[in-house]
Amino acid sequence: MTLKTPEKSTRRYGKAEGTDYQSPEVWSKVTGKAVYGIDHAMPGMLHGKILRSPYPHARIKKVDTTAAEALPGVRAVLTGTELESKPFGIAVEDELPLAVDKVRYIGDEVAAVAAVDLQTAERAIKAIKVEYEELPAVYDPAEALQEGAPQLHDNFPGNVAWERELERGSSSAAFAGADVVVEESFTIPAIHPAYLEPISCIAVDDPYTGITLHTALQSPDAVRKIVAGALNYPLSKVHVNGPVMGGGFGGRVYGNLKVYILSAMLAIKSGRPVKIQLTREEEFTAGRPMIAAAIKMKMAVKSDGTILGREADIITDNGAYSGQAPWVSKTLSERNDSVYRIPGIKTRVRLAYTNKIPTGQYRAYGNQVANFATESLIDMAAKKLGLDPLEMRLKNCVREGDITVHGLQVGKCGLSECLQAAAREIGWDHKKAGHGYGLSVAIHANGSLVFDKNFRGASALARLELDGRITLFTGEQDYGQGTHGAFAQIAAKALDVRPAQITVESKETKTAPFSTGALAMRQTTVGGKAIQLAAEDLREKIFKAAAELTGEPVTMKNSVLNTMSGRTLELGEIAYHYHNNTSGLNLTGEGKFVPEESDYDESGYGNISVAYSFAAHAVELELDKTTGAITVNRLVAAHDSGRIVNHLTARGQVYGGVAQGIGMSCFEGCLFDEGRMANATLADYKIPTALDLPEIDPLFIEIEDPVGPYGSKGLGEIVMVPVIGAVANAAADAAGVRITDLPLTAEKIYQAMAGWECEQ
Amino acid sequence: MSYLIASSLDEVLTSLRDGSGKARVVAGGTDLYLQDLPYGLVDLSCLKGTTVIEQEDDLISLGSAVTHTAAASSPLVLSRARALAEGCEVIGSPQIRNIGTIGGNVVNAAPAADAAVALVGLGAEAVIIDIEGNIRQEAVENLYWEYNRSLIDSTREVMISLQFKPCMDGEGSAFTRFAARRALALPMVNAAARVKLENGLVKEIRLVAAPVNPAPTRLVKTEELVIGKPVNDQTISMVERSAAEEVEVRGSLLRCSARYRLHLVGVLVSRALKTAAERAMGQGKAGE
Ligand SMILES: Cc1cc2nc3c(=O)[nH]c(=O)nc-3n(C[C@H](O)[C@H](O)[C@H](O)COP(=O)(O)OP(=O)(O)OC[C@H]3O[C@@H](n4cnc5c(N)ncnc54)[C@H](O)[C@@H]3O)c2cc1C
Repeated sequence: MTLKTPEKSTRRYGKAEGTDYQSPEVWSKVTGKAVYGIDHAMPGMLHGKILRSPYPHARIKKVDTTAAEALPGVRAVLTGTELESKPFGIAVEDELPLAVDKVRYIGDEVAAVAAVDLQTAERAIKAIKVEYEELPAVYDPAEALQEGAPQLHDNFPGNVAWERELERGSSSAAFAGADVVVEESFTIPAIHPAYLEPISCIAVDDPYTGITLHTALQSPDAVRKIVAGALNYPLSKVHVNGPVMGGGFGGRVYGNLKVYILSAMLAIKSGRPVKIQLTREEEFTAGRPMIAAAIKMKMAVKSDGTILGREADIITDNGAYSGQAPWVSKTLSERNDSVYRIPGIKTRVRLAYTNKIPTGQYRAYGNQVANFATESLIDMAAKKLGLDPLEMRLKNCVREGDITVHGLQVGKCGLSECLQAAAREIGWDHKKAGHGYGLSVAIHANGSLVFDKNFRGASALARLELDGRITLFTGEQDYGQGTHGAFAQIAAKALDVRPAQITVESKETKTAPFSTGALAMRQTTVGGKAIQLAAEDLREKIFKAAAELTGEPVTMKNSVLNTMSGRTLELGEIAYHYHNNTSGLNLTGEGKFVPEESDYDESGYGNISVAYSFAAHAVELELDKTTGAITVNRLVAAHDSGRIVNHLTARGQVYGGVAQGIGMSCFEGCLFDEGRMANATLADYKIPTALDLPEIDPLFIEIEDPVGPYGSKGLGEIVMVPVIGAVANAAADAAGVRITDLPLTAEKIYQAMAGWECEQ
Repeated sequence: MSYLIASSLDEVLTSLRDGSGKARVVAGGTDLYLQDLPYGLVDLSCLKGTTVIEQEDDLISLGSAVTHTAAASSPLVLSRARALAEGCEVIGSPQIRNIGTIGGNVVNAAPAADAAVALVGLGAEAVIIDIEGNIRQEAVENLYWEYNRSLIDSTREVMISLQFKPCMDGEGSAFTRFAARRALALPMVNAAARVKLENGLVKEIRLVAAPVNPAPTRLVKTEELVIGKPVNDQTISMVERSAAEEVEVRGSLLRCSARYRLHLVGVLVSRALKTAAERAMGQGKAGE
């Protein structure tokens, strides 16, 4: 394959059609008409508020709610003891809606109230008297795993929430035969997705329909199931109705389960709709940031740069409850292994309970966390061997037809093309003197089976409306990524109509098909394929109905049907014809995409996904040696996400993901002081501003994939992954020293250059 | 709660008098609205005079309700008091700069407030009137009681204006700052310098750094070392060393360690001096 440099001029400032189609959905947002969860209110609605633990670890001796209940305007008060709930959880069942005997972090939910207004609810919370007996606490995950450490959960001895030891191929042979071994320890703090709209939920309890949660979620079906379990309600009596979402980034896959469960419980108890809305401070102190990690990693390399093996000992910091952390830890500990041809790996991961904020996930599911370690080691090895980091990556990166060390079957793969394109565009061959340059690569799955081995695909419906328009029913949520616009484009192509003729419905779980959720970069590839199949099915049905009506075979072009004899028919005519003949049905296409080819064994070995996306990022930065401050000037993001369905939204995904990657590399991280989050505001938890971002140049290497709709693959998560490694490598290139502790602040870089003892 | 948009200074003083300690002056409100609000607010930002920037005789005078945007874009400030323009143009974000004022920046008394540090660097004095009508004039650095607390009692005193001498021939000023990100971040350290050169040698100098003490702090020892010397590489490195030796600073989990902050004090003070001196040398021509 020969590589063409994508033409930037046409890609950057796009047309409003074709692959730059602008979904009409965006207009409600840019004109301020979109109604977000926090904007919602309902007649008779109460305001809920949660009482949280002020201690990192304490026994609850007594909860006295008398004064709170006596306050005028208070309609319901809940405590843990009265609920008699059984533990719930995502990967591990270790949470209760409200603490019963113990609190395990500062922010742990102890009681909840619903009152006629927020002020009364806040007053009621303050009126609840709780007697605590403080217990010794543990904050460092490595310490938590040591003998004698304070124990958080009786049924998880040693504070181990989840662990895994894994060897594939022979890593000991690899290290015995290595010319060079590089080894380093890396630390990455907990990172909050920092979506702009704090999580809120209005729960309505109706005697006939059951509980409806008005809250925006990436995976409404997954949340529904957990909430139904926690409430002990039948699944068909729990619904989610999603308003517009003010940012998700993985943080709203499961969102904040406590908020949903408690608002529902308060609604049941009070008989009124109840809204709980987190404050920004609660988002930070009781939200679900992505797990912090300490990664000890070493790599065995031959003198020509061939990677022979790698070993890792990883400790991830669960916080007080597990959430998705076991799954995130798994992805974190293995996905990077599959971006290179590595014959042998050995990994130990331990997820430790600590008396800190429970954790969740963030765009890319930990893949970006380990990217920092893996890609740093590649550059360290290249330096030791005197090799060009680009050459070393090209030598080892996976290619089409490979089966990786974890059993992933690499289909179409433009990774080496991405590397070459990113390097060429950044000026790898004619670097500016004194500037730092760095590369990094990534692989990410398009829908992974880890969530549910038995459920691997997606389904969709395409309905012809009586006016000739088409409605798509899907469970895939769009919260700004552009999924629905892309679905309209995919269906439009299958049907040969204009995307603007298509509306996408997904908000209500009552009517939408089931979906695993907007996660694991599965929407375009897996969800979009179901859309394509549904549209194709509808198209066949339209032809059939048209043939019945006219008695002739028909063809369709630009939304109009033509018969052999030259008669033309509008889609609306067919819709009515069918409607009349069936006493009211609509022509409806069904799409079921059930990928057979993906599976894995007990050890997790196997092809976990239908397709894989690839990326290579290149960074150019400058370093102020007197302060250690880096200025990332430019980041070239080369992506193989197959054929791009929509360049406008794809570029948007790259800009946003890179911005978040820059945030994680240079600015972000939850800081703790004795278990208390010290930077729990957006003033102190520093996400990058527009001024802190580099020029970002997306390049798409469009190699058609055989599985995804019209050759496309996923993009949303992988955009963040390589940023961290590329920035770290460029900073090390400029500074001559390597920082192994994120974020790469000026202070750390200066300290390292000056040879100071670390004071952090 | 009451909110009065005052139309005369008299009205401000009367309202404060009537409020007997429960009414307080407000300008942009960017600091005040983050705190528990007092019973009465008296807004002086629409008063004639409080938003004026002018030069009279050999004094530049800025009304206390001059916004950061106005100060940063004033031709007079840009040419005769660059340090203040540089201090104001980096505060918060465009929205904050459009409404926050230099008077509020000083009275809020944050230890490293950007406009306040620049003003101390320039040698500014505040003109203050109390509810009895007494007027006094005080150097900005003398207006601090303790961390985040001004000696100006905004329930009975009003800052009317800030005044300082313009940088004339052979004089220059500069402001520097270092923060975790490029906007919406309080500085780890900020610094300002004002220097007057005669025959290439330092005749007068003011070097200021923050946060060192509750008030922006003059580095008098370092200033003395520089008097009579040319501002060359040698002097600059001496200033870098001396500035860091002269002060004591605190470290914090949120911003940076004390050791790094000390290092930054040296770097930023010397940078400010270097730029101020360059401007002093260019001032004869460029500073018309
Ligand atoms: C998001 C954000 C970012 C910020 N970033 C920065 C930054 O980077 N650097 C920085 O230095 N500051 C920053 N600030 C702080 C603030 O914007 C400035 O201190 C601003 O100059 C305050 O002016 P104001 O007019 O808004 O004061 P106000 O809030 O109106 O008043 C502040 C205090 O001064 C008193 N006061 C005001 N005017 C007078 C007067 N004439 N006489 C007597 N008392 C008076 C008030 O009673 C009050 O106590 C930031 C603030 C926010 C919210």
